[in-house]
Amino acid sequence: MRLRVLPCALAALFSHTLAQADDFVIQRVLVEGARASQLGIADSANAGSVSQKELEMRTIYRPGELLEAAPGLIASQHSGEGKANQFYLRGFNLDHGTDLATWIDEMPVNQRSHAHGQGWTDLNFLIPELTARLDYRKGPYSAREGDFASAGSASITYANRLVRDVATLSVGQNGYARTALAASKDALGGALTYALELLHNDGPYTHPDDYQKVNGVLRYSRGYANNGWSVTAMAYHGRWNSTDQIPERAVDEGRLGRFDAIDDSDGGEARRYSLSGVWRQTTADSASKVSAYLIRNQLDLWSNFTYFMNDPVHGDQFAQPDRRVTSGVNALHTWHAHRGDTVTSDLSVGLQAQNDNIFNGLLHTQARQTLDVTRQDHIVETSRAAWIESATRWGESFRSIVGLRADGYRFRVRSDLTSARASASDTLLSPSLNLVFGPWKSSELYLNYGQGFHSNDARGAVTSSEPLVRSRGMEIGLRTEAIPKMQTALSLYRLDFDSELSYVGDEGTTEAGSPSRRIGIEFSNYYKPVKWLAIDFDAAFARARSREVEAGQDRIPGAVEGVGQLAVTASQLGRNGAWEGALRLRYFGPRPLVEDNSVRSHASTTLNGRIGYRIAKDLRLELEGFNLANKRVSSIDYYYASQLRGELEPREDIHFHPLESRSFRLTLIKNW
Amino acid sequence: MSLKRFIRQCAGAAVLAGACALAPAHNFHAAITDISYNERTGSLEVVHTYMAHDVEALLTNLYQRQFDLSDPDDQAVFRKYVEKQFWLADKDKRRLPLNWVGMTADAQNVMVFQEVLQTPSAKVEFIHDAVLTDFMPDQLNTVNLTVAGSLRTFGFSSSHTEFSVH
Repeated sequence: MRLRVLPCALAALFSHTLAQADDFVIQRVLVEGARASQLGIADSANAGSVSQKELEMRTIYRPGELLEAAPGLIASQHSGEGKANQFYLRGFNLDHGTDLATWIDEMPVNQRSHAHGQGWTDLNFLIPELTARLDYRKGPYSAREGDFASAGSASITYANRLVRDVATLSVGQNGYARTALAASKDALGGALTYALELLHNDGPYTHPDDYQKVNGVLRYSRGYANNGWSVTAMAYHGRWNSTDQIPERAVDEGRLGRFDAIDDSDGGEARRYSLSGVWRQTTADSASKVSAYLIRNQLDLWSNFTYFMNDPVHGDQFAQPDRRVTSGVNALHTWHAHRGDTVTSDLSVGLQAQNDNIFNGLLHTQARQTLDVTRQDHIVETSRAAWIESATRWGESFRSIVGLRADGYRFRVRSDLTSARASASDTLLSPSLNLVFGPWKSSELYLNYGQGFHSNDARGAVTSSEPLVRSRGMEIGLRTEAIPKMQTALSLYRLDFDSELSYVGDEGTTEAGSPSRRIGIEFSNYYKPVKWLAIDFDAAFARARSREVEAGQDRIPGAVEGVGQLAVTASQLGRNGAWEGALRLRYFGPRPLVEDNSVRSHASTTLNGRIGYRIAKDLRLELEGFNLANKRVSSIDYYYASQLRGELEPREDIHFHPLESRSFRLTLIKNW
Repeated sequence: MSLKRFIRQCAGAAVLAGACALAPAHNFHAAITDISYNERTGSLEVVHTYMAHDVEALLTNLYQRQFDLSDPDDQAVFRKYVEKQFWLADKDKRRLPLNWVGMTADAQNVMVFQEVLQTPSAKVEFIHDAVLTDFMPDQLNTVNLTVAGSLRTFGFSSSHTEFSVH
């Protein structure tokens, strides 16, 4: 049969205007194998979307590292594998997720007023096999985003149905074993999608993590994502031992090895169960979405960061149990209007409500046995928000997105020890304005301004600190595809916070501090010169300073100054295109560890890689390598006082958690 | 190529092009299918022309992920959908064996090529076309069937997915 090119060519000849999306949130699909262009879609130079295929090509040591697909973001770990990751972005040490709002399938992952750290983001329940896409944006420029989204936000979407079912089996060094099954089938007029994951990992530690994970997802969906609904149940259980950060002096003196633990009984256990639903309806002129969720989270966490400083006899181990039920609903409606052939406008309104019913505490323990209770609270934190956003396309070369968001919070705390009750409430209006200029064929210039916020821990909000803390961001950005096969984005931003949330290493908590200002630049490049080769190069630098503090005391501990990555990904290599591979070099820049900048952590550069081979059409083998150069560097450093057994007094020191030594994992992947 | 066929293809292209040009004002969703007998090969040839954006939106909303329609694995996903939604049948309602010949995709259009070996146009008695009409209520699919040199045109929509030729 002849391929008839004539109708196609004629159509192309006649059609000089690209069709607009009915569904304003979907991404354009690709026909050239390249990353989807964000020109004409994104509201800022820093926003983006990562496809399932790109995510599959990444080498990830732990699920949270999927977020590193967002340029400039670092996810590390300072403790046992089951604990929430430690995140860095835009000159922030985000601790376990402060100021980084993470969503999975319309459910918030951040846990507010958490026992261990504000905005606790435990992504261990994330199943990569179900992940269809990752969307990210940075800065407080969207009325759609509220709490914790000032530095950035990441949203992960699970697939309603899989193109192909998948089963994987992995084995690796350091006691690593994982198996996962993800499949979908047509049922009852819709699609039933399910996944099960089992994992064990010891890590390179002298006292093995013995991290055991059981994780499952069950979803039923009807119709299409933009015109249909889905109901999802998730269940996750993990338990682990922790090797917390250790003092450098003990390693230097030969008292401890780099992978040794000080308190063998540190560790934790986490459970997460959720039931959620999403309904969407889209017509040519409007779109509606309603999602609701009910999440049960339980955490038991035992840590010891100061060893024998506060209690030379029993030690300083503390427990931070947290049990909560989070419920919420999000609704949005968009009207699509047009005037003439060139002006189109989407007016969106949204409502959000969330309630957290929390029982958490801080207990002094020894070998996980309670010695005394420091505090134990029942917290009820309720928030609601309404937002409005107008996105207008004023012809071919100019777009504007104007938004306004109103948030109201109520905090109620009852102490289980004293029965004292306290409450507080706060409201905040957050405007945002984004202007996009695109008079050029393949470039856009962005001007972004927005106000955002983070909520403080309820236990602090009802006493001293401000419940909701204002942030203000502004940014100028450029995105260009002027160089063929290359996508480049450049952002220059400033972000102010009325009060900085910072991690207190020796207490394992976050506390509200002085105002701050960050000025930074981000440079992101994606180059795909030929179909089989892609090169990523990202670099980000940030200057973070506290304000209204004494001269010389303005550094923000842990604030990362530079982040970069260079990745080369090749696919469809060799005969039959059976080989693929990737190498990723990650630069994690230096951080001041104290306010006067007299102690700093070192920068580190690490290399990960993977090789894949397609044995048969539906069978692949992958070898992943982590820390290939076997660098002896830190995942994280803190500077504070601690006292080891046998030491007569506390000593200020750098405390570090080592990056995992070189290790390999072999994975067999079967599709059908 | 006959003049009539050329005019028909021009008309089809113009309709699609017009749809594209109108899109910002009102998102118009249309597809053209051309069914004709190729005397040289003795086969019944079917050519579908869809708007690329509509196919993109369809696949993204089915699987929530991005698709690369130059990738054979991703093409197979669209093939599975088209083969489920479009078919031809004879007078006894037996489906004609439509073979998948291939597809092409560019920024504007996705074209799908199918054929029924050694079968004249006259054998087609029923046409079922629900491609994209299940996804977008305002989708209109125009099917041109050429039998013995005469052209017949059928309009498919979400409320009318099947036609009897006679």
